[in-house]
Amino acid sequence: MLTYADRLAALRRRKIEQTLQKKEQNGYVDMDDFGTVPLPEGYRVRPWYNSQNGSFYGYDGMCENFCRVMAAHPPYVDPMELLCGRWRDMLVNYRGNRLFRPAWMKEDETQKNFDEDTTDLWSKCWDEERFPYDHLKPLQEKYNITSGIDSDAHLCCDYRIGLSLGFGGLLTKIAHYREVNPDKTAFYDAEERVVRAIQDFIARHIVAIEEMLAAETDPDLRVSLEEMLEVNRRVLTEPPRTLHEACQWVVYFNIASRIYTRDGAGFQLDTLLRPYYEADVAAGRIDDEKTVFLLADLLLNDPQYYQLSGVDVDGNDLTCHLSYLVLEAADALNIAANLTVRVHENCDPAFLEKAVWYLFKNKNGWPRFCGDKALTEGYERNGYSHADANARIAVGCNWMCVPGKEFPMNDVVKINIAKVFEWALADLRKEEDPSTERLFALYEAHLKQAVETVAAGVNLHIDHQWEVTPELVMNLMMENTIERGEDISQCASLYSIGVDGAGLAVVADSLGAITTRIEEEQVLTWAQLFEALENDFADPRIHAMMQSAPRYCQGGTVSDEWARRLTDSWVRHIKAQPMPDGRQLIPGWFSWALTLDFGAAVGATPNGRRAGEPISHGANPNPGFRRDGAATAQSNGIASVQCGYGNTAPLQLEFDPHLTAEEGGAERVCRLIRSHFEQGGTLININILDGEKLKAAHADPTRYPDLVVRVTGFTAYFVSLSPEFRQLVVDRFLDSL
Amino acid sequence: MAVIFDIERSGMHDGPGIRTVVFFKGCPLRCRWCHNPESWDKAPQELFYPEKCISCGGCADGCYTGARSLCGREMSIDEVMVPILADKPYYGAEGGVTLTGGEPQMQADFALALTEACRRAGIGVAIETSMALYRPDLLSQMSLIMADVKLWDDARHREYTGVGNAAIIENIRKADALGVPILIRTPIVPTVNDTVEEITAIGDFVRSLKNAVGYELLPYHPFGLDKARAMGLAMPRFPEPTKEQMALLNACARLQRR
Repeated sequence: MLTYADRLAALRRRKIEQTLQKKEQNGYVDMDDFGTVPLPEGYRVRPWYNSQNGSFYGYDGMCENFCRVMAAHPPYVDPMELLCGRWRDMLVNYRGNRLFRPAWMKEDETQKNFDEDTTDLWSKCWDEERFPYDHLKPLQEKYNITSGIDSDAHLCCDYRIGLSLGFGGLLTKIAHYREVNPDKTAFYDAEERVVRAIQDFIARHIVAIEEMLAAETDPDLRVSLEEMLEVNRRVLTEPPRTLHEACQWVVYFNIASRIYTRDGAGFQLDTLLRPYYEADVAAGRIDDEKTVFLLADLLLNDPQYYQLSGVDVDGNDLTCHLSYLVLEAADALNIAANLTVRVHENCDPAFLEKAVWYLFKNKNGWPRFCGDKALTEGYERNGYSHADANARIAVGCNWMCVPGKEFPMNDVVKINIAKVFEWALADLRKEEDPSTERLFALYEAHLKQAVETVAAGVNLHIDHQWEVTPELVMNLMMENTIERGEDISQCASLYSIGVDGAGLAVVADSLGAITTRIEEEQVLTWAQLFEALENDFADPRIHAMMQSAPRYCQGGTVSDEWARRLTDSWVRHIKAQPMPDGRQLIPGWFSWALTLDFGAAVGATPNGRRAGEPISHGANPNPGFRRDGAATAQSNGIASVQCGYGNTAPLQLEFDPHLTAEEGGAERVCRLIRSHFEQGGTLININILDGEKLKAAHADPTRYPDLVVRVTGFTAYFVSLSPEFRQLVVDRFLDSL
Repeated sequence: MAVIFDIERSGMHDGPGIRTVVFFKGCPLRCRWCHNPESWDKAPQELFYPEKCISCGGCADGCYTGARSLCGREMSIDEVMVPILADKPYYGAEGGVTLTGGEPQMQADFALALTEACRRAGIGVAIETSMALYRPDLLSQMSLIMADVKLWDDARHREYTGVGNAAIIENIRKADALGVPILIRTPIVPTVNDTVEEITAIGDFVRSLKNAVGYELLPYHPFGLDKARAMGLAMPRFPEPTKEQMALLNACARLQRR
């Protein structure tokens, strides 16, 4: 008799094989795994281009190509699982987005024309002929700005909309509002075709299951296939009634949205699925063993960002039995998972302890934790309601979103403040009487320009995204969209646009080093500093002098003060930026995985960082910030640079506590988490690592294909990361030794 | 004022919970395996790490690479309290401050004043001590006494640590009457004290104490060798105990009295 444990073990083995296969197909990938499976032999899509620049845009362009890529995806049915469907390829690959293009496409002769006339990484994702922004480019480049123009998918659906209607109900809704808004035919045509493409994808799975059932002789697997068949026939048109149907429905929607624009937003997993689970239990349809298997299958299918626990709008604990089962499911699978536990003083402390216990047990970087108090109060400070702030959940690397309502562009708009600072230094060099105060004033002048440039880019994006990359899949589960016949970029209830600063520690430590060595101790002159920056610290004594100056996160240092002052300035400039039509900019500190790219653009900095070296990660201190690597000092430092408006400045911790959970490790980490959030912290990403294993894997990653690390907000298979990224993780970890 | 040579934050191995660990300079013992030999002399002293030297010739104007570093400085209660208070949110009921060294009882008046300052701030204090000294006024204020019994035989104890253990054993017995929980620890140093007989004998002693809360064995690490070299001191390198050896000895440590 085949047990669920046997089936899980088999799925885990297959996942590891697929990870190695994908590495063969795509090379190193410094990002989330996304749950993709390797491409089948001979897989090809012929895109349809509706633009003179050889790309496609708008309702018709996006819809037609979505249908083509969906149609090219073969069904994925594994009788060892309960859920069907996987994704492999996405629409943006055919628009010249090199960042996400798989290796096979780069080698494909028919695709090569992309590279020949593509001027930058993203140029064919945005229709620059119709919506040019050449006037913004010089300053975007000058300040190393990630503009967010042509970015997509960084919002979060309200899954209740889809789960209550089913795909059939969505078609009915579209038909109804088509009559209400007769001038929006192009929109409704596209949305209808999108739903039908998803249904066609499901229908092909039904055929595949029927064929497998006809050939299957194993009685256990026959039972499994029969159940799959019934579930798939249901979710083809009807809203789900059971947990199995709800999970399968979610999988099909997620596959569609991933294929469309790799959208990575999940939902509050325990609360949303709880009614289905409880109805199943009441009807005697399910036990906890099967629930755990089903949830594990959902997490295997795609490591979406799901939130667990937290409180309702009145502050009541949302933790339920299903919250525990989700952790058990992730544990049973023990692969990459992006589960975020929302921590509030009213939340079940036993659940937090259990969540931390899994960090120790599996050492795979999950779950992570977000702080309800600072996130909720911060978001309200923008003038939004408590209900909206409470509904805003963790669904991305560093970001939160109100499901169905918010258009946040989170994690796609960034300013490299190390670059901004570099321009200020260049200006200062021309002046007679340099000082840190003058340097800071110059920095703020450049920052103001950078923020204005960001705002102009954001507004261009929001004004025209519907004509370039409408969110045809996510629109199905957003508010106002189908009702008005408009893309979510046009009709969101909340436009709270996240702008992240990157390089905080580099700039804070640079200002701290100058204050200490030049102004206080007077052991270095400004002229010597400028010369050292120009010759990339050729003099090792000056290099050591600046590197050994007081650092941000050491606690009570001049660089800690500068970090707070930089944060005040950052928040002030972002919040002061005027925006039209109820839009707001929301400040945060986060670099995502761009520390290498951002670092490459910046010359030597006064903190002893040499030209081209990576900038600091998120709100984290520079590596080696304290000899003892004290997590508490880091926690205090990062709590003191929170921006205060509901977006995050994450605490990214790596350590080998040389303690098991039972020896008190879990209790200590729980205390650390709670205290960070009590002090205003927003998000904690923790890697509890086995130091020996990490070092061995760094030497030969293929020996550890199951090793998962939390790189920034996302987890990734260590073996899939490039050597540079593996080094970054190892460097951060060495701080804690 | 006291001579302090380090304050470590986020300590996870020097007592329960998250702790701030204050290292007092000066120790009456000279354990040959000591991992903090820079703590022996109470006076501040310069350490020299040649591997960090960049030969810049600027020694007189200050060293920035850490090649020459001053170990130990006089600190006031207020100065020591700054990092302690910074970590107060993380201590909870379990964690707090650990006085260690060196031997904190060599600067007992300061240690006592520091303990009082912590008490006023609502922070518990534990001590790691050789128990070669006995200051009941200090020890009675501790939430936990972590005391080493390194060898059971007095002569061998003198051979390897420079002092006999009779006074240490006697001091531990006296401290046992203070009503403070005591954790006895033995560093396991292969070729010196890694035998079943040794651990059984110490274990029997531990079980004779009223307030002993445990007996812990700590594996030897050669952490002190680099620092000894930086002091110009020759220290022997002992073999490190294997996991199997530690498991066997831990089983002995847990055995009931014969």
